[in-house]
Amino acid sequence: MPKIELYRSALDGYIGEHLANDVLEDQLSVAKAEVDEWEDEDGLLKIELNDTNRPDLWSTAGLGRQLRVYRGGDIPEYGFFSTDTETKDCGERIVQVDPGLKEIRPYIAAFVARGPAIDEATLNDIIQTQEKLCWNYGQKRRAVAMGIYRSDIMKFPVAYRAAEPDATSFVPLAEERSMSLRQMITDHPKGRDFGHIVADFPRMPYLEDAAQEALSFPPVINSARLGAVEVGDSTLFIELTGTDQHILHLACSIVACDLADAGFTIEPVRIEYPYDTPAGRTVVTPVYFQTPIDIDSAFASRWLGVSLTADDCVRLLGRMGCRASGTGSSVRVQPPPYRNDFLHPVDVAEDIMIGYGMNNFEPSMLQDFTVGRLTPVEVLSREVKTVLVGLGFQEMVFNYLGSRRDYLDRMQPVPTDESQASDGNMVRILNPMSENYEYVRPSVLPSLLSAEAVSAHAVYPHPVFEIGKVAVRDADSVSGTRTDDILGLVLSDVEATFNTIRDKVNTMLYFLNIDARYEAATDSRFIPGRCAHILVDGAVVGVMGELHPQVLENWGISMPTTAAELRVASLIPQKSSL
Amino acid sequence: MTDIDIRSLHPLEIKVLLHFSGASDITVQEMVERIGLKEGQGNQVVSWLAAKGIIEESARTARTLYELTELGRDFVTNGSPEERVLRTLETGGPAPLPALAQAAGLEMRDIGSAFGALSRVGAVRMDADKRAELVDADKASWVGLVRSILDRAASDGILPDESLSGDEREAIQAIAKKRGAGTVAFRIVERNDVVYRYTDTGRAALEKVADSGLTGDEIGSLTPAMLRDGSWKKGSFRSYNIDTPPARLIPGRRNPYAEYLESVKDTLVGLGFEEFDGPVVETEFWNSDALFMPQFHAARDIHDVYYVAEPTHAREIEQPYLDQVASVHEDGWNTGSRGWNYGFDRDFTRRLILRSQGTVLSAKQLPAARVPGRYFGIVRCFRYDQVDATHLSDFYQTEGIVLGEDVNLRTLLGMLKMFAEEVAGATEVKYVPGYFPFTEPSVEVHIKHPKLGWFELGGSGIFRPEVTVPLGIDVPVLAWGLGIDRMALMHLGLNDLRELFSNDLERVRLRRRK
Repeated sequence: MPKIELYRSALDGYIGEHLANDVLEDQLSVAKAEVDEWEDEDGLLKIELNDTNRPDLWSTAGLGRQLRVYRGGDIPEYGFFSTDTETKDCGERIVQVDPGLKEIRPYIAAFVARGPAIDEATLNDIIQTQEKLCWNYGQKRRAVAMGIYRSDIMKFPVAYRAAEPDATSFVPLAEERSMSLRQMITDHPKGRDFGHIVADFPRMPYLEDAAQEALSFPPVINSARLGAVEVGDSTLFIELTGTDQHILHLACSIVACDLADAGFTIEPVRIEYPYDTPAGRTVVTPVYFQTPIDIDSAFASRWLGVSLTADDCVRLLGRMGCRASGTGSSVRVQPPPYRNDFLHPVDVAEDIMIGYGMNNFEPSMLQDFTVGRLTPVEVLSREVKTVLVGLGFQEMVFNYLGSRRDYLDRMQPVPTDESQASDGNMVRILNPMSENYEYVRPSVLPSLLSAEAVSAHAVYPHPVFEIGKVAVRDADSVSGTRTDDILGLVLSDVEATFNTIRDKVNTMLYFLNIDARYEAATDSRFIPGRCAHILVDGAVVGVMGELHPQVLENWGISMPTTAAELRVASLIPQKSSL
Repeated sequence: MTDIDIRSLHPLEIKVLLHFSGASDITVQEMVERIGLKEGQGNQVVSWLAAKGIIEESARTARTLYELTELGRDFVTNGSPEERVLRTLETGGPAPLPALAQAAGLEMRDIGSAFGALSRVGAVRMDADKRAELVDADKASWVGLVRSILDRAASDGILPDESLSGDEREAIQAIAKKRGAGTVAFRIVERNDVVYRYTDTGRAALEKVADSGLTGDEIGSLTPAMLRDGSWKKGSFRSYNIDTPPARLIPGRRNPYAEYLESVKDTLVGLGFEEFDGPVVETEFWNSDALFMPQFHAARDIHDVYYVAEPTHAREIEQPYLDQVASVHEDGWNTGSRGWNYGFDRDFTRRLILRSQGTVLSAKQLPAARVPGRYFGIVRCFRYDQVDATHLSDFYQTEGIVLGEDVNLRTLLGMLKMFAEEVAGATEVKYVPGYFPFTEPSVEVHIKHPKLGWFELGGSGIFRPEVTVPLGIDVPVLAWGLGIDRMALMHLGLNDLRELFSNDLERVRLRRRK
């Protein structure tokens, strides 16, 4: 979720009025936004935006525009957009694209903004919009990267080239020396952050003006001269490069509309591609590329549970800044140029909902009759828990992620050679946050022993259990892994022996009406000769015994400890066939 | 002066109060003589009465006593070594020391020291043949004194110092020690004889006991024998002091967090929901693709989801769902959507991860769901988060769906209101437009909880047709998730999520609902 910082006074300006805090908070819900921090002494407000498909709201101008229109302001008209049918004049404002970029970073959009001398608030806002758009919407500059330049000292046409990275150099922002593109990738902070996007290509994206002076190395860094916009500049050249033309064109439109709202005149730029693009070989940007979307008022009524005519829909969409028209029950929406989030009529229905006002919907109760029930595992687990509590056991609840040390090394009487040891059948996380949470537990016993290891101060005996999930690798499963519901029991006590745990398990199984057999078994976690498999209908459903003293020592436990582990699913009674 | 509840007095205390009027001294010795208490019982009852302020010390005398040791009791029966030497020589005549020792039943070291002591006073001597012979038994005057002391001590096993003459005292001190008395006949015991008298409290208690009819023979523990032979009918029962601090017992017990989760499950079952569950290892397909989150979505970055190291991919994704979900991503398929307009990656969709959201199981339920139907699960989810008081790497999410021909936004709001009231006990409910990639519209529900105040209870919405249609469902599906951890913490009086999964047995044993 993007968070933006904005001046309250600037927001008031875009809304056209100052809203009391409680009113602002309420109105922000229209934009699915909420106040993260009220303004500080500088008047700077922090707002969190929840809708990742509405990047037009991630700026002071965009947020203010939505609230202004919702509160009754006119839907703004932007006259600078080219469309399928009308192409705006560009004069000599042209960007020529090099054929070599097709496989590297094929698309570019641009415009010139001419206006008042830019003030600090507006400049900060543009830089913030650039960051949020490119980071959150532009997949961390992969899909969209944006540059701003001092248009009055550069010369069109601009060349968007696939440059030789060792032979191309300029002085980048935040540096005083000239560096090659390849040097910037390794030595410049921005290169280290974003250079990987293009580092694997033999040639790299490069922008220069007609005087062959560098503009930037997209998506990494601007030139320190043409690309250093400061307070007081009034003519800006803005370009965006990327890998997805729709996303790029939308981002371009958003920035253009924001600057138009800030008082700038937007002058389009013609992009000349030497290859085909979804929008053609010649594209004038900013471009209105959206297609109309239709919704039937009957569908909107069904989805929202209220009775709406086409006229109702048109009016409610207008509050959201969307021009629409009705024919019969059908409503056709022309998305605003800065929005491209109408994938399906349900997206239009949501705008109708917000326009209608959340508080105006009367909640109604579900009507259908349905039967509630728990899973068979849950039902059986509750039975098991009741019996175990009667047998004196304390139920525990543990996390499912842990370390190799706890789940594997400590459970073995013979130390493993770390460098060679496999993970056994454990599910390991490729990208763990830390080695303490690197594996999904393969057994409940390590969890229970972790409790025993820190609980020597508690009055003995320590009969504890948990019913929970474990996951292991399983070649027979489609997912190569298997999740099981497991009952684990641990009983630590001066007098705990094999018989202690066997008697508890046997008593529990008796009350579950399960005839179990016990068979001597070998399991390295237990003392040889003091371990048994638990069999139901001839199948092994669990294991129990006295834990090996080396295992106890591994855990730092100095109390004899017995344990058992059973698969819960195998204890569920089979429905008798009638 | 304290008012004593005489019903709480022990039978021995009652007996003392009944047998000592206060006219004479109260001593342990008297108790032994008058009531027939053992000395230990006497000491005990004195300390109880003194602790209750019924009696107080009035005088104290230090005394020395000589207590027979095991060796001393042997001397009583067989005589001291000197006595045995004299007796053996008297009856058997002169003999070499080894023969004498054998005849007297003594060890060689004992005969050496006994013969030495007797010869120093001239009672015996060694003759020319190196044989011990008797000279004059009377010269060893202490031997007779010791015999008489031993005889007097034999009955009680103890002799008070004041009962001894000067000669006797001298004689006994040669065979008595304070410590390490195993090698001598007597242990020296220093004892304080204490005399008690009643306090004002004691005199008041005395009167009450006299008037009460208590005898000190009231029944303490009721025994099976009394029940069998009916003897309880002839007696009365001693009142017990019910103010003693109760002992701590450690019962077998459910975990309160698990109980809380079960109570939420029960509430949802009561509202007509059927429980679902599933594996913790999932595919990208079910975790996100089936939920119409585009594969390039920011929230699907490697830093938010845990990837399984081995195996990396599921063998396959069930058809026709794979083809249908792939189509809906690419061009909307037949759902009326334009889709996300990119090439769906059929390898990536098989990538194995740990389930990051409970909604996965809601989506997986769809192919098998009944219409109308309501389903829920409280399931473990895994997130790439630094573990602290408000974040865990694995935690429970509560999620569910409602399918029906006639469900819509208003029934969604009605359902949220029902949850707010039934699950959270909320007094007020507020709905706010929300955003989730898989629902449209999306609604957050904020509630006013009686104790926690306003907070966000959960998120919800109507599943996008791009989610439901590829999974075979053509009716609207309400999807919801509730954040119940805050209420769980409040319910248990905790403020750290890690405590819900505590491995400290003592804390879990003591934990209870607030």
